[in-house]
Amino acid sequence: MTTRREFLVGSGLLALGATSALAGSARATGRAGSGRMTMIIDQARCTGCRSCLIACKGYTATTPGHFNTRLLEGEDEHGRAVFTPVQCNQCDDPPCVRCCPAGATFKLDNGVVVTDWDRCLACGACVTACPYGARFADARHGGKVDKCDFCQDRLEQGRVPLCVEACSAGARLFGDREDPQGEFAACLGTSTFRVLRPELETGPNVLYVVHRDYQRQARQRTTGEAGGSGNLPQG
Amino acid sequence: MHSDRREGEFCRQRRAWLRTGVALAGVSLLPPSAGGDAEERRGDDPRAVQQAPVARTGGDVRIVHSVCLGCNARCGNRALVRDGRLESYSGNPYHPYNHQGRPVPYATPVARTLEQPSPVCAKAHDSINGVYNPYRVLLPLKRSGPRGSGRFEPIAWEQLITEVSEGGRLFAHLGEDRLVPGLRDLDSDAPLDPRAPELGPVRNRFVFMSGRMQSGRKEFIDRFVKHGLGSINRIGHTDICGLGFRMGNLALTEKKAVELKADPWGASYILVFGANIYEALQPGINTYGAAIARRSARGEVKFVIIDPRAQRASVHAHDWLPVRPGCDGALAMAMIRRMIERKTYNHAYLSAPNPAAAAALGHGCYCNATHLVIDDPGHPDNLGFLRMHHLAGAGGQERDDRYVVLDGEAPVPFDSVDRAVLDQGLLLRDDRGRQIRVSTAFRMMRQGVMAHSMDDYARFCGIDRARIEDTADEFAAHGTRAAVCQYHGAGNYAGGTHAAFAVAMLSCLVGSIEMRGGYMSSGGGAADPLRGPYDLRDFPGRRRPRGIRISREKARYEESSEFARRRKATGSGYPATRPWFPFTKGGLSVETLAGIDAAYPYGCSILFTYFYDPLYSTPGGYRFRKTLADSERVPLHVSIDTAINESNLYADYIVPDVTYAEGHYGWLTPHAPALRFTGVRTPCIEPLTPATADGRPCCLETFLVDLAQRLGLPGFGDRAIPASGGARLPLHRAEDFYVRAFANMAANADLPEATAEEQGFVEHNYPVARFRDRITAPQWRRTCYLLARGGLFAPYEQVFAGDRFRHGVQRVVLYNEELAASRNSLTGERFSGTLCWRPPADAAGQPLAAADRDYPFALVTHKMNVHTQSRTTCHKWTMELLPENMVVMHVDDARGLGLRDGDRVRLVSRSNPGGISGRLRTGRQVRPGCVAVSFHYGHTQHGASRLAVAHAGRVFLGGKEVTDADGLVPDPRRGAGLNPNLVSRLDPRLGNTPVIDLAGGIPDFSSTRVRVTRDREERPVDRAREAVQQQQAGPGFVAQS
Repeated sequence: MTTRREFLVGSGLLALGATSALAGSARATGRAGSGRMTMIIDQARCTGCRSCLIACKGYTATTPGHFNTRLLEGEDEHGRAVFTPVQCNQCDDPPCVRCCPAGATFKLDNGVVVTDWDRCLACGACVTACPYGARFADARHGGKVDKCDFCQDRLEQGRVPLCVEACSAGARLFGDREDPQGEFAACLGTSTFRVLRPELETGPNVLYVVHRDYQRQARQRTTGEAGGSGNLPQG
Repeated sequence: MHSDRREGEFCRQRRAWLRTGVALAGVSLLPPSAGGDAEERRGDDPRAVQQAPVARTGGDVRIVHSVCLGCNARCGNRALVRDGRLESYSGNPYHPYNHQGRPVPYATPVARTLEQPSPVCAKAHDSINGVYNPYRVLLPLKRSGPRGSGRFEPIAWEQLITEVSEGGRLFAHLGEDRLVPGLRDLDSDAPLDPRAPELGPVRNRFVFMSGRMQSGRKEFIDRFVKHGLGSINRIGHTDICGLGFRMGNLALTEKKAVELKADPWGASYILVFGANIYEALQPGINTYGAAIARRSARGEVKFVIIDPRAQRASVHAHDWLPVRPGCDGALAMAMIRRMIERKTYNHAYLSAPNPAAAAALGHGCYCNATHLVIDDPGHPDNLGFLRMHHLAGAGGQERDDRYVVLDGEAPVPFDSVDRAVLDQGLLLRDDRGRQIRVSTAFRMMRQGVMAHSMDDYARFCGIDRARIEDTADEFAAHGTRAAVCQYHGAGNYAGGTHAAFAVAMLSCLVGSIEMRGGYMSSGGGAADPLRGPYDLRDFPGRRRPRGIRISREKARYEESSEFARRRKATGSGYPATRPWFPFTKGGLSVETLAGIDAAYPYGCSILFTYFYDPLYSTPGGYRFRKTLADSERVPLHVSIDTAINESNLYADYIVPDVTYAEGHYGWLTPHAPALRFTGVRTPCIEPLTPATADGRPCCLETFLVDLAQRLGLPGFGDRAIPASGGARLPLHRAEDFYVRAFANMAANADLPEATAEEQGFVEHNYPVARFRDRITAPQWRRTCYLLARGGLFAPYEQVFAGDRFRHGVQRVVLYNEELAASRNSLTGERFSGTLCWRPPADAAGQPLAAADRDYPFALVTHKMNVHTQSRTTCHKWTMELLPENMVVMHVDDARGLGLRDGDRVRLVSRSNPGGISGRLRTGRQVRPGCVAVSFHYGHTQHGASRLAVAHAGRVFLGGKEVTDADGLVPDPRRGAGLNPNLVSRLDPRLGNTPVIDLAGGIPDFSSTRVRVTRDREERPVDRAREAVQQQQAGPGFVAQS
């Protein structure tokens, strides 16, 4: 059996991102091969419109009650809204991978964390281990665990994740941090970022450009078991 | 199982396809299935190993560029259809709305755009679930129990046509012995009231009311209602849609335009008055909100939210002024007063008395600030403009009607000088020595503004004076790049006409009207669909409707027989039985329903409602339940809709309609400032409703065609459409009309013929291509160019000459002569022709806030970014994300009441003591003393209640999924939450119908006051919701939104 890496090279997919017709028009280009796929979420642009959530729901057909892409909503002391879109951080050192007894969850060479349902034991260890609440069991499939994978299937087609495409405000930039291109590269070079729960040193690959007016600590509405990910990203 | 090998093979195919570009012509747009994968697809699991592109491909895939109807914003869309089933929507890269005004150039070949990402909003994504809504009605229904009982039975199409046409004892089998009128009974030119011939013929007893009407179907419906049967009563719902701000713009532009808004692409400072720019608006969140967000992030625009609710745009707003509900006008007046006192208004612009003078200063349109108004109660033309003939007798010459301005102290024609005195009042003498007291329009406006002090205005609107002054100063400092963006909240209440006029005036005072970055109207459509090779406007025998609308809109009470009779009897002709609205944009659905209720000025015999749910979506709509239930007031009610809603529950017949994925052909023009386009909607899938015997789908158009044919009305059937060359072509089905309209557009815009590739794209992908034989082959090739791009779109830059908008209004007014000449038909008083501020009041003039002071909270309502008014409870992904709406209250108020976040509370009002119940959310995003409740929830129909529909398994799209032997089985999730319209204030002075603005007929969305108490009553819906939530809760899962 070929490894995933070999398969991707053999199929020419590694070159796909660069040659895709998308390169000129999209804000970023997906890439399925090696690299470090990264999403930048610009809170100065996010309008909290939830298009990413609904598009993702329709596309990934997650189990009822669960969404791969979510929106944390809060307000500052003046009553003004604060939006923090969250999803799997595709961590450099993912706690979910470390704890999986079956080796069913692993990082692809492009940095995306996936779960192979042929191996998943539905034990739920990764769900508990994830500090971002990004994983959930799919009861329709015996409790096997689902999560955001940056729309790996779209990356393999040279596309960007659907949430990026759905964002009319352009709040989501997507690209490869090891070979950044276009607006993604420009943003990477000029902005300062925060990540969720940096103290855990998980190495998140979802980076936040924080709205200039919200450097101050904002109260974040945290209903349910927030698990800490309800906090505004800390730098 | 997937092997890597198979994926490898597949992916290589994928790569080959991307390299060679998308095959447009020929069999398929996307590559065929990898083959043999059917067993690999796991039903509801599209991501078996989370890298399975197989699930995304295969089958017969089609792509259609069209226009969304998730709301009325009219963004473009791109439908992806697989094996005949609509799978997903994204945006149309050619459409400026999807790309914040910057789409791909129109000439770009379609093949180059198909892989371009293009966004749509959440409503658009979820609208697929509206198309496949299991509660959709597929068969014609006839009432089989009392009105409102929910008992219906399916009937044959032919029976439907016969009974609606001919009437008769249609419900004798239910024990109703009355003779139900048919449309044929109304096909008569006899006066409906011989004592009042001005009311028009019997035809006007046919009333057609519409909810979500759009161009295309609107013209088709008008062809039937107005020009076929000849009734004047085809009435929309502009009043509940957003008449308030439109009345302000109507007054400002002398009825020339209503859609003026801040140019989101050019403004540097925007005052957002009651415009929910990140959650709703027209253009929608995909366009206006997204453009503002992008520019705000780059530091190019600042905006201030003026709203009792912080709304979601507060995330990026420079400031939020939590104005008291219904008092936007007071805030605007205070700002204007500040600008007058500090002289920060644009003096040069306001002093330019004519178009040439304004143009010389670089402005897009001029204003009448310097024009003299007769301000002299003794003068016969008091409160009208002074005209040259007032000063010098005609003397046998043609009367000189030119406006007069002051050059120094000399009155001169307005077009004779390039600058005139702005702020003056004085006595002039005419050539016979008679004195006339006059004031400039600016002075008239100023007097209205100065009627209250800054401190009073600050108190009325509930905003600190200093903040008002700072905001006014900053607004003025941005000059012609400053503008207001007002919408629903700015004027949708009693007194809203003048409130919105004041808000609009702010933009005039800085001179930004019709300027890049200023307060701009829409550029309108890009090509006429109704004239050209095919005449879709005129036809032999076309009737011209005449008479008075049952809503009394655009009609003068003083010209009525009623007024004459009453004046003869009492000396004064006032009050009218119900108000009349001589100065309005119209579309007064509330007063239409009130007119039907009161049979005033005449009774309705037959009511058609289309895509409309007034009992749900009208503030105080619950008042009309008894109207619709009463067969005296509404002898025959036919609803054309896709589902059973709160209103057509009372209908006698329900005609199943298609959704916009299957029909709703149309040509959609922008609400957006500075944009000029016509989007084109065609279906992406075949109709889900059954076909008639001759193969036409059950839908609006087929229904109207068959009625017209049965009745012998002009404009339909054989030889109905005149074509160039003298031919007369048939109109038997929707496409006979719409395809020719598209051909007209292509011809009028002089579009090129599509390439063979693009023609192939349309013919392979678009269902409408089956009807290409309705037009000539060359016309079809040009039409393909239009259809392939989903419309006709002009670039933003093309609409400007320098900074001046080419397609704007030519003149705006500080003083509106027509408004000043119109009267309150209840009192006979004239309305002010310029700015004035009064608190929202009932029809007797009593301020509502004072009358309802026992109810401590003002109720404000709003839309959510994932919903459309009344019809998105079927959007299942949204309902999963947000199962209910909330009662949002300031945390300090909640604490004072001993209430906590999540508590169930009851809201009761003076008009609805029973009230409504919902869950509390506390925070700081609403002004203290207010509670905010969104629309969209709290349904009792649309699948929320059990209905005894016979043969329900065949009637509803979901079949067994939503029915049993007793009829329709409800889904309690559809009824979750609460509907704020159910407690809206009614006006006892008007027979307890909803509160309205007496000038424009604006329904009141802001003056309802409520008492909020803890509600311990548990409803079945609560238990259902909790069950759903338990299902949703999972370990480590963070509640979203």
